[in-house]
Amino acid sequence: MQFLYFQYFQLFSLLIAIVCRKGLNSFSLGILIPILLLDNVTETVGVNYTRIFHSLDNYFVYNVYYVLSTPLYLYLYASMLKGDRREQRRLFFTGVAIETFILVNYFFIQGRAEFNTFTALLVGVANIVLSCLVLTRLAIRKDDGSNLVLDPIFWINAMILLFSLVSIIVLGMLKYISLNHIQFGRKSLYFALMEAANAALYTGYSGAFLLCQTQRSK
Amino acid sequence: MPDAKEQITTTILAVILVLLFFGVLFIVMLWYYNYRRRQTAREKKAMQDQFDQQLMQTRLEIQEQTFRYLSEEIHDHVGQLLSLAKIQLSSFREEEPIDFPLLKDAGANVARALQDLRSLAKGLHAGHIRHFSIREAVDEEVQRIRKAGGLTVSVTSEGAEKKIKDDKQLILFRIIQECLQNCLKHASATSINIGFTWYAEQLRVRVRDDGQGFDADRVLQLHTGGLGLENIRNRARLTGGSSVIYSRPGEGTTVTVQIPYE
Repeated sequence: MQFLYFQYFQLFSLLIAIVCRKGLNSFSLGILIPILLLDNVTETVGVNYTRIFHSLDNYFVYNVYYVLSTPLYLYLYASMLKGDRREQRRLFFTGVAIETFILVNYFFIQGRAEFNTFTALLVGVANIVLSCLVLTRLAIRKDDGSNLVLDPIFWINAMILLFSLVSIIVLGMLKYISLNHIQFGRKSLYFALMEAANAALYTGYSGAFLLCQTQRSK
Repeated sequence: MPDAKEQITTTILAVILVLLFFGVLFIVMLWYYNYRRRQTAREKKAMQDQFDQQLMQTRLEIQEQTFRYLSEEIHDHVGQLLSLAKIQLSSFREEEPIDFPLLKDAGANVARALQDLRSLAKGLHAGHIRHFSIREAVDEEVQRIRKAGGLTVSVTSEGAEKKIKDDKQLILFRIIQECLQNCLKHASATSINIGFTWYAEQLRVRVRDDGQGFDADRVLQLHTGGLGLENIRNRARLTGGSSVIYSRPGEGTTVTVQIPYE
């Protein structure tokens, strides 16, 4: 069984999340534990899929991941945005529209066998917009004189934003990169960038979870 | 072909770097915005603390002033009247016929002392200044100065009187008291005018005397004017208002204070 280096970061952040679950719950971030569990399972299966199932690619795994993880992420944003009922209703309908598109794309447009690029782009854009929204709101709402840098939600969204800015390009061009064997430092450009981006994302998450715990105990 | 691939790799990396740059810039800008807000909140709190401290000090000063005035009043007026009444009454002998005019006079003295005590008690009321308007409080202060004699004090008012916040009223009253004390102590003035001008948003109070004056610019620049002038400026600033102290040797002194109502 193969295990890529960024998966250690991923697993580490899951372990930290479990250890700091009380802290996460106090910030309404408990949903991140199932998200990280799903991430870990997806990556472990995805990395070894071709070898175990003798398949040419592992796109199926990631397509299913998008279908399953998007509602969880939307729930996470809803709890981080802490909007009023009207705003939550808006976010709910936006989420339903996004999920519907993902399912339609999965079943009818790009299909199960091909990597769902449109879904990756849509999810990337949604992540960028929503994380920017959370960050902006956080900065405006912080009128109690508390430090933004000490807020775990700030770090989680900052890392999601930066990760999405990288992934939207790389995943959007995934087919082109793999067909043309575009490499960076003797490694596929996709792996080179996504592994680094994932490592940064999960390191950020781990830091944020530790902040949850320390802020809670304060 | 390798060159083309390298170009594509470079382009993709460049686009990602640009996007990351804007992402990081956005995050830094938010952090900076938060930092500025925190700094402003800290400054605001410091200002509020300073205001509260100044308010407390003002209250203590007014209290001290009132006690001093009370002590003087009791000693100089009530005490004198009661002593006189005591002497008058002690002159009566059981075996002698009653001197009714003297008795009446003693009774009048006791009544005057009682009247003085009543007005003093009124001044002792806890929320004395709060329940008065600033005009009434100043009028009462002017009455005290007039009673002491030797100085003409006039109060003028332009525009319709408006309600000032209690805390600000207290501080303004203390500023006026400070100005009057300065006139009495240092100015060798013969007349003082206190002018109120009620504007739409703020009140302007001008205390002018015809005393010997001083070089205000120099004194304020060198900070040699003691705490009095500094207090006037600080207090006016803390209420969100401003003050101008104008004086020239031989030209008297004018202190102008502008204070917003809210």
